[in-house]
Amino acid sequence: MNILNIAIKEIKAALREKGTFVFMLAFPVILMLILGTALTNVFSSNTPVGNIELLYKNEAASPQLTQYWQGFAKAIEQEGVKITPLAAGTDGKLEISEDRYSAYAELSNEGITYYGSSKQTIESNILQGMLTTFADRYNMAAAALKSDPSKAEAIIRNASAPGEYIRETALNPDKQPGSIDYYAMAMTTMIALYSALSGTFLFRGERIRNTALRLMAAPVSKGEIFAGKVIGCTLINLLCVLAVVLISKFAFQADWGNHFGMVFLILVTEVILAVSLGLGLSYILKGDTSRSVVMIFLQIASFVGGAYFPIMGTDSFLGFVTNLSPLRWANKALAQIIYNDNVAGALPAIGLNVGIAAAFLLIAIISMRRQEAL
Amino acid sequence: MNILEIRNLTKKFGDFVAVDNMSLSVREGEIFGFLGANGAGKSTTISMIATLLRSTKGDINLLGKSITSHGKFAKTNIGIVPQDIAIYENMTAYENVRFFAGLYGLRGALLQERTEEALEFVGLGDKHKSYPKNFSGGMKRRLNIACAIAHRPKLIIMDEPTVGIDPHSRNYILNSVKKLNEMGCTIIYTSHYMEEVEEICTRIAIVDHGKIIAEGTKEQLKAIITDTKDIWIGIKANESLSIEHLKQIPGVIAVRLEENTVKINSKGEINNLNKIVQQLIKDQIEIRSVEEQAPNLETVFLTLTGRNLRD
Repeated sequence: MNILNIAIKEIKAALREKGTFVFMLAFPVILMLILGTALTNVFSSNTPVGNIELLYKNEAASPQLTQYWQGFAKAIEQEGVKITPLAAGTDGKLEISEDRYSAYAELSNEGITYYGSSKQTIESNILQGMLTTFADRYNMAAAALKSDPSKAEAIIRNASAPGEYIRETALNPDKQPGSIDYYAMAMTTMIALYSALSGTFLFRGERIRNTALRLMAAPVSKGEIFAGKVIGCTLINLLCVLAVVLISKFAFQADWGNHFGMVFLILVTEVILAVSLGLGLSYILKGDTSRSVVMIFLQIASFVGGAYFPIMGTDSFLGFVTNLSPLRWANKALAQIIYNDNVAGALPAIGLNVGIAAAFLLIAIISMRRQEAL
Repeated sequence: MNILEIRNLTKKFGDFVAVDNMSLSVREGEIFGFLGANGAGKSTTISMIATLLRSTKGDINLLGKSITSHGKFAKTNIGIVPQDIAIYENMTAYENVRFFAGLYGLRGALLQERTEEALEFVGLGDKHKSYPKNFSGGMKRRLNIACAIAHRPKLIIMDEPTVGIDPHSRNYILNSVKKLNEMGCTIIYTSHYMEEVEEICTRIAIVDHGKIIAEGTKEQLKAIITDTKDIWIGIKANESLSIEHLKQIPGVIAVRLEENTVKINSKGEINNLNKIVQQLIKDQIEIRSVEEQAPNLETVFLTLTGRNLRD
């Protein structure tokens, strides 16, 4: 009952600290909005492809090749490629160098000579792929013609079948975070880590207000005071974190995936880690030093943990440093759950959070037991 | 019956002995004054009685039970009014009292009743919804008391409860102390204000260097110092006053200046008034009045410890 009383008092008092409450809510939401809007392009996986225009010159004498080319031209026109025969008196290579077409192809009995535009590389590469397929098919048809003319005819007839030369294959997973999705996640984990600040002030505040003396004079054990305060502090910070999640989800339509229970579990363990870290440090480093050290740690952890911009996997020393940030492992775990439906991917982060939190709580408990006051 | 018995109590902080083999008894129903200059050891003693500090040696018994082995019993029966105000500024007066009373096991209707009663007692009944950040110093001190009495402790320890407040609040608090005592509470009261102690305390202990150097009623304490006298000399201006000159006069024990009054403590058997007056005239001090004071607690304290209470 005493634990509950102390926890409720902690929550009530924290809710009335308007400054802290606004910081814990407004700061991440505003940053989410600013960074999410400003860095939209960084998160876009689309590369625009312009008009694909093929200039060609057909000097082939073979009727089969001409027939097959016409079928090919018809098929790729259906895919959106504009095909233009080289006008008399025009230099195809010059047209390409002046960037009027994506590529220029010369057909002859000896084969296809291809000139791609260096300014329209994507379009040029697409055309090169199409023409390579065309050449391979024609060579196959020519070989078949010698042994089985009926099959060669079928190959040439199919030349105009749509979809034979372009097939879209997605290399990226279907779900990827947009900028708002990313910053909703990053700001939430960042503000969860900021709970460490309340951790540093948890017992120091009681000492400054002299209320530690009253708590110690009451028939309540140190364990009850400790548990009540830690539970209250964790709950109030968790409430702020959940408010940020809900604002991002319903106001900004951020994607939090389908496994909200696991997302919640990661955030709970991160808040516990942060509160314990702050509390442990407040016993290791006396006075205001703990608050300053935690503040510096939070800034560095946020920076290298990907709170302000996404951090890609690196093998360098920087990569090693980023992996030390609790933010980094929380963000990675959330990304696994939200975008890959990989619930098991969250377990290392949960394990780390709980393990480190237990170590810092132990430090705080031992220090508290050793000293006579709180 | 003794509510509190302290035997051979010692507290050391490293090599420093804050409380030195102290023995003391407080009777049920007393207002017991605890006098001592800063660093004399009274706060350390109070902290050990309130179970906030562990003693290095010795025993403290409350209502016949050792506070070491019956910590919870002791805590339940003690209410402490700390010198520094110990309240939550962002909780209302009612919430503050209710929270602390709740820690003593009070629940439901009884908790509410005792909370309201404590606030009424200190004159904050109409301010129960107000936040202490909007309170005056005196109101905060009164709330500080309410937080300590809502659970109806048998022994209330008040450590400088009137520091830095207006005369109205001071009178209110002193009357409250008397009323609490009439209601059956035993009170241990420490103060820098000698007149307060003289006014309300039934018995007084003077602490110096961690030891009790005198104990008894105010009359008993005053009787200790029949061999000294106090001479108060009113002067016009004090710019040219030399305290050192006065201290060199035979029989003079201590000299202090309070505004335009020179307060001299001197041996009773030596008649040195003429020499004192002559020295002041020699120092070109214009004398306005001369009076010999009856001994008071301040004199007792000064004689026994060789220093002022506020030193």
